[in-house]
Amino acid sequence: MADKQHQKVGWLELLRSGDHTAFAEFVDKYKSQVFLCCRTLGLAEDQAEDVASDTFLAAYKMIAKYRGQADLGTWLWTIAYRQGINYLRKNGRFPELICEQSPTPVGRQEDTPTAAAYSKEQQELVWAAVKQLPTLWATAVILHYRQEKSLKDIALIMKTKQNTVKTYLFRARKMLQQLLADVFGEDIDVR
Amino acid sequence: MSADKQNANCFDAGLKCALKSHSEPAPLDFTEKVLRQIRQSQEQKILARVVVQERLALTGCIILAIVFIVLTVALPGVAAGLTLQAETLSYKIDHALQTVGSRWQLCITFMAAFVFAVYYLVDSLVADTR
Repeated sequence: MADKQHQKVGWLELLRSGDHTAFAEFVDKYKSQVFLCCRTLGLAEDQAEDVASDTFLAAYKMIAKYRGQADLGTWLWTIAYRQGINYLRKNGRFPELICEQSPTPVGRQEDTPTAAAYSKEQQELVWAAVKQLPTLWATAVILHYRQEKSLKDIALIMKTKQNTVKTYLFRARKMLQQLLADVFGEDIDVR
Repeated sequence: MSADKQNANCFDAGLKCALKSHSEPAPLDFTEKVLRQIRQSQEQKILARVVVQERLALTGCIILAIVFIVLTVALPGVAAGLTLQAETLSYKIDHALQTVGSRWQLCITFMAAFVFAVYYLVDSLVADTR
């Protein structure tokens, strides 16, 4: 355990010194998370690639100043989120808090699946429902449910207050319950 | 546990499970692309620094020349004094070369010191740009 911690510290030192091999490992480890952040913000594939590249370039420039106050993943999410929001603003799109179109319930199925046995199709339906959420709600949902970040970390990443994050999550959850009523079965009480 | 609470927990667990299974694929050559961009940005940074250094050197030369011209025009006495000193210096160098030239041991010693100085200068400059 201590040896692993020691290795991690050594790897971080290599990253801070600008070592390219260590940085390649860092990119490999976190690229899917950065792409997820970009796609959650509603960027198309090519736009997501541009923003992800910019994120890692910014991370390379700033890594020397990283002192480990936040988890490395949280730190990178913060950069990716900022880059994504800046990209949206530059292109005249603003992260919305209301739905552009009226959301439509996704999927319809006969059996209620158990949490452990979601098929690929059902996962896609959940993802499709999340994509229907306003950008900021969707980001909060991904960070909370998928990345299991604390409210404090989510507030840090989204540069907002914890109470605002709670509101995003509450509203997003309510909307997802409506959208996914068919996927999760009728036993979920939608109010 | 109330039915509402149970429903909520079930929904949260399902959502978590489904979202955790979802991932966004990155292009296969993405890491190489990022590293290439980093190398390019580092090269551009070095190039920009060299350009700034060259511009500073050029500006210095131009300012020195302008100062010399202004000095010559505004203070002819000082300029004449400087010219006289330069002439004296060139005469002294010529005289020193003649003296050293007549003594080959001294000439060899000075040549060795000169070659060493040039080598040292080149070595430091190359090391600086590496």
